[in-house]
Amino acid sequence: MPENTPYMIAAYVITAVILVGYAVLLYRRTLKP
Amino acid sequence: MLRHAWLLARKDLLVEFRSRTAILSAVVFTVLVLMVFNFGRDPTAVAAVDLAPSILWVTFTFAAMLALNRAFQLELENQALDGLLLAPVSRSSIYLGKLIANLVFVATVEAVGLPLFALFFNVRLLHVLGPLVAVLALATVGFVAVGTLFSAMTARTRFAELLLPVLLLPFMIPPLIWAVLATAALLAGRPLSEVKGWLSFLAAFDIVFVTLAFALFPATVDE
Amino acid sequence: MRLLKTGRWITAVGLVLLAGVYVRALAFTPVERFQGPAQKIYYVHVPSAVVAMMAMGLVGLAGILFLLLKDPRFDRFGEASAEVGTAFSVVMLTTGPIWAKPIWGTWWTWDARLTLTLFLFLLFLGYLLLRGAVTDPGLRARYSAVLGICGLVLLPFIHLSVYLFRTLHPQPIVLKPSAPSLPGEMLVTLLMSFLVFVILYVGFVTQRYALSLLREQADHHA
Repeated sequence: MPENTPYMIAAYVITAVILVGYAVLLYRRTLKP
Repeated sequence: MLRHAWLLARKDLLVEFRSRTAILSAVVFTVLVLMVFNFGRDPTAVAAVDLAPSILWVTFTFAAMLALNRAFQLELENQALDGLLLAPVSRSSIYLGKLIANLVFVATVEAVGLPLFALFFNVRLLHVLGPLVAVLALATVGFVAVGTLFSAMTARTRFAELLLPVLLLPFMIPPLIWAVLATAALLAGRPLSEVKGWLSFLAAFDIVFVTLAFALFPATVDE
Repeated sequence: MRLLKTGRWITAVGLVLLAGVYVRALAFTPVERFQGPAQKIYYVHVPSAVVAMMAMGLVGLAGILFLLLKDPRFDRFGEASAEVGTAFSVVMLTTGPIWAKPIWGTWWTWDARLTLTLFLFLLFLGYLLLRGAVTDPGLRARYSAVLGICGLVLLPFIHLSVYLFRTLHPQPIVLKPSAPSLPGEMLVTLLMSFLVFVILYVGFVTQRYALSLLREQADHHA
């Protein structure tokens, strides 16, 4: 089995960053439109 | 409707050909690209036939962008668009007129570019001229149709010349891909049956998007 | 504002469930034998791609409805779906190459899937740029609708041109991507992830829609 765990981690981290980041962005924008 | 469209197209074309700047820069660019590519390649390593389709379509795409950028600029500069809208001319005629004008412009560049290209690159194309012209016509109609619609929208925005290519890019690529593939197949002497596939995609694209553009154009100029 | 509160709750639930999917995908789903751990990228890449495409479809649909019915709510929805769709397509566009590199040996290839993701992103980008460039709300709504509809109609043509291109020019593949028929547990994880991504889409769009509404109300009072 190939050892490519770093890629998996990178993808999952980036996804989380983008989705959580967007959620935070929306929250802050709606606090003060 | 056709008569109105033709009159409108004539007006645009007369202005365009009288000033000559746009058509000249398009032709000059074509010659330049052909020269650069010709000198840039090693004839023993790269056959002209391999590069040919891409070069051809780069130049024609540029010519199309040039035409489209100017499409509604004339009206805008003189606030003539409102006048045009008040005239007893249907919206479809306006779109058709613009489309015809743009097509003639690009067709002129293509008519000049193709023989030059055959000359510079020593490419035989008379034997496939019919299908080649068909490919040219279909692909050109495709992106000029969408481009004319979009230029009506971008004309009034701030970064019109930057926005138009960005918006148009995803819409140009499928017809461009099919056109380059078809051109490559034709120049390489592949049987016509292979090319038919690309031609039918181009035709389908044209039918769908010209119809769509006609349907949507009024929304870009009406209240 | 109630709509906003609802949106926030849905998003919160979605994020908690996302954490759950992460745990399930990373710790409790078997590792694929040929592709290794990197195959698990599928569980975030595929759902985000599907949601992004769905978002684009809805933008186009909202455009059609707006032009037909002239209801500004459709325009507001289109704007929201486009922005949310962009977020998901960024996920799609980043996880795609990250998956491609270990599996196919290269970050990018003009493969059907990757090319499609790029196109989708460009369509969203164009939509948002156009909205940014037009100040009059009525004009902006109509232009966005036109672009959205064109984008929607373009999608099948992109599928066509890219899939056919690929069959003519086979890509050098290091490892074949996994077949559509996934074994039981993997399929469950994929479906769960898909559900969570949809929940997040709904939560995001609701909030974003509420934001547009709030802004308009603020402009009215100003």
